[in-house]
Amino acid sequence: MSEREHEITRAFVRIASSLATGADVVDMLSGLTTDCARLLDIESAGLLLADRRGVLHVLAASSESTRDVELYQLQDEQGPCVDCFRGGSPVSVPDLREEKDRWPLFVTKSLSAGIASVHAVPLRLRESVLGTLGLFGARPGVLNADDASLGQALADVASVALVQDKAVADQAAVTEQLQGALRSRVVIEQAKGVLAQVGDLEMDQAFNALRRYARDLNLRLSDVARSVVDRSLPAQVVLDHARARGSR
Amino acid sequence: MDALTAVRDGLTAAMVGDGGPQEAADRLCAACVELLLVDGAAISLALGGAGNGTFGSSGDLSRRVEELQFTYGEGPCLDAVRTGAPVHAPDLTEASEVRWPAFSRAAGDAGVGAIFALPVAIAARWVGALDLVREERGPLTAVSWKGGLFAAELAAHPVLELLQADELGDDAPADPAAGADGHWPRLAGLGRVEVYQATGMVMAALDISEEAALVRLRAHAFAHGMTASEVAWEIVERRLRLDADGDGRAPDGRTSR
Repeated sequence: MSEREHEITRAFVRIASSLATGADVVDMLSGLTTDCARLLDIESAGLLLADRRGVLHVLAASSESTRDVELYQLQDEQGPCVDCFRGGSPVSVPDLREEKDRWPLFVTKSLSAGIASVHAVPLRLRESVLGTLGLFGARPGVLNADDASLGQALADVASVALVQDKAVADQAAVTEQLQGALRSRVVIEQAKGVLAQVGDLEMDQAFNALRRYARDLNLRLSDVARSVVDRSLPAQVVLDHARARGSR
Repeated sequence: MDALTAVRDGLTAAMVGDGGPQEAADRLCAACVELLLVDGAAISLALGGAGNGTFGSSGDLSRRVEELQFTYGEGPCLDAVRTGAPVHAPDLTEASEVRWPAFSRAAGDAGVGAIFALPVAIAARWVGALDLVREERGPLTAVSWKGGLFAAELAAHPVLELLQADELGDDAPADPAAGADGHWPRLAGLGRVEVYQATGMVMAALDISEEAALVRLRAHAFAHGMTASEVAWEIVERRLRLDADGDGRAPDGRTSR
């Protein structure tokens, strides 16, 4: 097996074992977007999930800097991910420069962030579309077919992970689960803010500190975030742990 | 247009009107009665201590039901706030309905057959519930249920307005963006990544709660003619610090009023 094949296998194994152990969904999907960014010929990946009103929100992104997450978030109003979500099919945008009229704000911000192309795949679950996986490229051009297939496969696995294989016939239970995932993302963003303030860090460093603490102490990422936000876990404890482990 | 879209549009339109958050909450409750086919609707707050109580209601029946829940310290809305999950009680008289014995008996005496409580959240925090009350027993229709969930999301906005009014003082003018066509659901970009992050930063810097941080952020935005998102960016990129008075201070110490 080539190194790449090893990495692909590892990416799927990570998801499978997270499913088996009931790990934190946001944490696992963050890992998935990071794996996408590494495995595919792209710059970054962002996973958007729809709330019960059909509005897309960022659930996970391979970069946790505010500017990058905001770029994904912009796509709740315009951009290839919205089109992908509504249509239920992949949307390929090989050259964003040619789409300024279509999505003026999204294209402007993408280009200034160094993004030139986008490939969006739907998170499908039976007849529903739960959200989208956006694959951002630094160069213009169509994403090669193998990478597009792999991206769709990872998105499909993400869909299953989100629903956690409960009785999908119970639409209300699925909706509650997805809303729960979105809510925990909000708490994670707030926790990033708390850690960034106390530790004078950038947001992605704050996220790394949060994740490091959760993993090393075998805690769920969402639970640690909640504890940081409600102050039952002092931010300094999380920051000191990260500093000691050298993950600034 | 399908039935659910019509219900959602009706609920959104109901928020627009004169007055402040209290009036908007009452209008939303009245719209719930009309559009969701129930007999009463009320929004209760459970912010803790003196922050508990009924915020908006469609009339006497729903107000009574809210009072009963706070009197007995039990009931669907309290469960909904605690767990963050909607609570169905389609038949309060059924023998197998044992969740709130004292409350159910009293509510039944008041003529209530069914209650549905939908939690209301500000960002990720459950702050209250929208209670739908009906005399006739039985479940809600799918459209009414989904409409109710949507109404519970709309209910968060006047709650936040209420918190801001407390912060700025009773005679502060209402936010001009509030109540304008279609602005309620977006509410000047509250549900944005940068706003959540800035909220966390302000909470840590001033050692205050999430709601208080959001209120300060919005107050600053209102005072300076900015959106919440713009203020949040200023904070996240360290160009602005909110101090304890709610004024802004640039990192070099200059005050912005």
